[in-house]
Amino acid sequence: MIAQLEECLAATPYSLEPEARQRLMLEGLNALTAKHYERCLPYRRIIDGYWRGKTEFEEIGGAPYLPVSIFKTQIMQSVPDTEVRLTLTSSGTTGQAVSRIPLDAETSSIQQRALASSLRHVLGPDRLPMLVIDTDEVFKDPKMMSARGAGVLGLMRYGRTHSFALDAPLEPDIKGIRQFLDQLEGRPFFMFGFTFLVWTGFYEKLRKEGLDLSAGILIHSGGWKRMADRAVSNPVFRTALGQAFGLTRIHNFYGMVEQIGSIFLEGPDGLLYPPNFADVIVRDPRTLEPVPDGSTGLVQLLSLLPHSYPGHSILTEDLGVIERISDGADGWAGKGLRIEGRLPRSELRGCSDVIAMAA
Amino acid sequence: MSLAEATDEALVERVKRMAGMAREPFLPAAIDLLSGMSRAILADSETKLVPQYVALAYWMRGAAVKKLAKAFLNTIPDGEILAPRGLALHLPPTNVDTIFVYSWALSALAGNANVVRLPATLSPQAQSLLRVVSKTLADEQQAERNLFGTYDHGGETEREICRNVDLRIIWGGDAKVEKVSQIPIRPDGLTIGFPDRQSLTLISAAAYCSADDEARDDLAARLFNDAYWFDQMGCSSPRLIVWLGDNPECRDDLYNRLEAVIQQKSYIADPAVGMAKFGLANDFLAEGVAASARRYSNELQVAEVSQPKVALQRTTGGGFFGDAQILSLDEVRNFVSRKVQTITHFGFSHEELISLARSIAGVGGYRIVPVGEALQFESTWDGVPLLSHMTRRIVVR
Repeated sequence: MIAQLEECLAATPYSLEPEARQRLMLEGLNALTAKHYERCLPYRRIIDGYWRGKTEFEEIGGAPYLPVSIFKTQIMQSVPDTEVRLTLTSSGTTGQAVSRIPLDAETSSIQQRALASSLRHVLGPDRLPMLVIDTDEVFKDPKMMSARGAGVLGLMRYGRTHSFALDAPLEPDIKGIRQFLDQLEGRPFFMFGFTFLVWTGFYEKLRKEGLDLSAGILIHSGGWKRMADRAVSNPVFRTALGQAFGLTRIHNFYGMVEQIGSIFLEGPDGLLYPPNFADVIVRDPRTLEPVPDGSTGLVQLLSLLPHSYPGHSILTEDLGVIERISDGADGWAGKGLRIEGRLPRSELRGCSDVIAMAA
Repeated sequence: MSLAEATDEALVERVKRMAGMAREPFLPAAIDLLSGMSRAILADSETKLVPQYVALAYWMRGAAVKKLAKAFLNTIPDGEILAPRGLALHLPPTNVDTIFVYSWALSALAGNANVVRLPATLSPQAQSLLRVVSKTLADEQQAERNLFGTYDHGGETEREICRNVDLRIIWGGDAKVEKVSQIPIRPDGLTIGFPDRQSLTLISAAAYCSADDEARDDLAARLFNDAYWFDQMGCSSPRLIVWLGDNPECRDDLYNRLEAVIQQKSYIADPAVGMAKFGLANDFLAEGVAASARRYSNELQVAEVSQPKVALQRTTGGGFFGDAQILSLDEVRNFVSRKVQTITHFGFSHEELISLARSIAGVGGYRIVPVGEALQFESTWDGVPLLSHMTRRIVVR
């Protein structure tokens, strides 16, 4: 593991203020760029052909970035095949290419350690009883074993004595939920679910049940696109859950398989904060130059976790805004990010017509 | 003219009636119709502003059409009398919104009655062209013999229409040609398919380097027209630029000038297209297809490729160029295939081009024309002399 990452992980999670973070991130990114340059041939070709072979930069904005699509089209790997312990794949609708992320033992353990440190920041040092806002079928049934199942399983290791709030057809198991809460007698507990399921499977069906979740900590993820279709924004989501269940400790998170373990967690102000070993740059979608804070642009994600593949600096196709730079007085330091959705898709039509043959 | 009949039944009835409406080729009325349409396009406040439509109008003007007719008639031996094929069905591509008129115009000149199947949705720009076309047809009282409309692919309506068709012209790629061709037309009918094609530009580095600023700017402007008019997605749009001879400075000089033209013409590529181009440049580098790549802007990205054949096969459109270097014209045949349509050129002698044509003849290539004329429609397309195929002959002895 590179020394700078050690240092980031040693600090209190989400505590590194911008200046200290800048230094560690820059040194760490330079170290990773040089490492991957040496060990990953496709990466070296890109650095040589697009970035003039340079692997050292004076500021993090100068660091080379890969388009997120490259993890779908190429095998980007910086370790020998024999050392790959696990290849992660992204969710994708049928027919679409998926990202393939090779993890060796080192990166996989770094990734788990980093994620644990981030989650402890909101969950505390002890593993808490956990209510999963999903059905246990999601990972029991291999046919359903998907990114959702993997996500649920991944988060379950950070809780104990798990209960599942939904049954197989995704209806709430109100009896089971009450039983779970009664046993706790007001002690803190952990909830995890995908944003859309938390809303449709849990909130909408249980909001009149008078459940008291005020001792709960909810972590949720999965994106806002389907929520936006229902005109539910993050503030609406937070207010609604607060009013219905007394639930106030709500943390959305943002991350992607290409930087697994590196999660931006939602602070009390509703913004997403990078962990100590990560950062974000927002770039103009047309010029790819960094935009001033407060302006919308393409999100570039930086993370010191990827050691077995060159995923430490990725230009995503998500749009976002840096709303605030925090010194960490409230426990959340760094750039406060708001995600605004994806860059609208647009594909040019070729001289080949795609024709739907109607019956 | 009717955009479409109210029902599929009415459409089929109409097509059946049209089957007997062909006339002698090259009648003065047909020539007048095209020259009238040419004037109308240049007079219309919307269409006259679209460069592609101005080019179309120029191609259709009376003198040009007469010249085309005369040149063709000169190839007909004595004792062979030209006759129309009968009823033609045109299936234009969805992306190049002038082909529907070019294809129709040649066929109308050949005396055929015409059904032009339009895509279900037309760009506002194409709608303005269609409006001028329809008005001219009505004014010249030719609407009965020329139907522009739409119907679903793959249904009974298409089968019924095709049963009456003598000539079917399919534009729009391999899959479309293959699918549409499965539906029978008249037993003595003829189908011509225009499948997927790729195009490239060939520049003599020596000629470019000795050209003055004016000539270089002019070349950049013509390259812009060839590549950007249809977002670089036409079969004839160049996607690969091949330099004969080595001169990296000249190459960069041309792309800087092209970038200036892009800005001057205010061509804008969608950021998602820009990202697709950035992705492809990274793929080419990662795979070793390209040794270097440069993003001049969101609208222009260039990858210096060592495998021109691969670069020809993959594109995003919207301003992505593979850039390759050769040391002898003989190398062109190494990356030309049946898929390659147009080679635009700069800085070569006629003799060199003739010898290039001969050297690639066995492998592919259909047009070798100056830079700036890639999209210029001509009556021999993809190697098919269209007027010959759009007519039949009566032998008289």
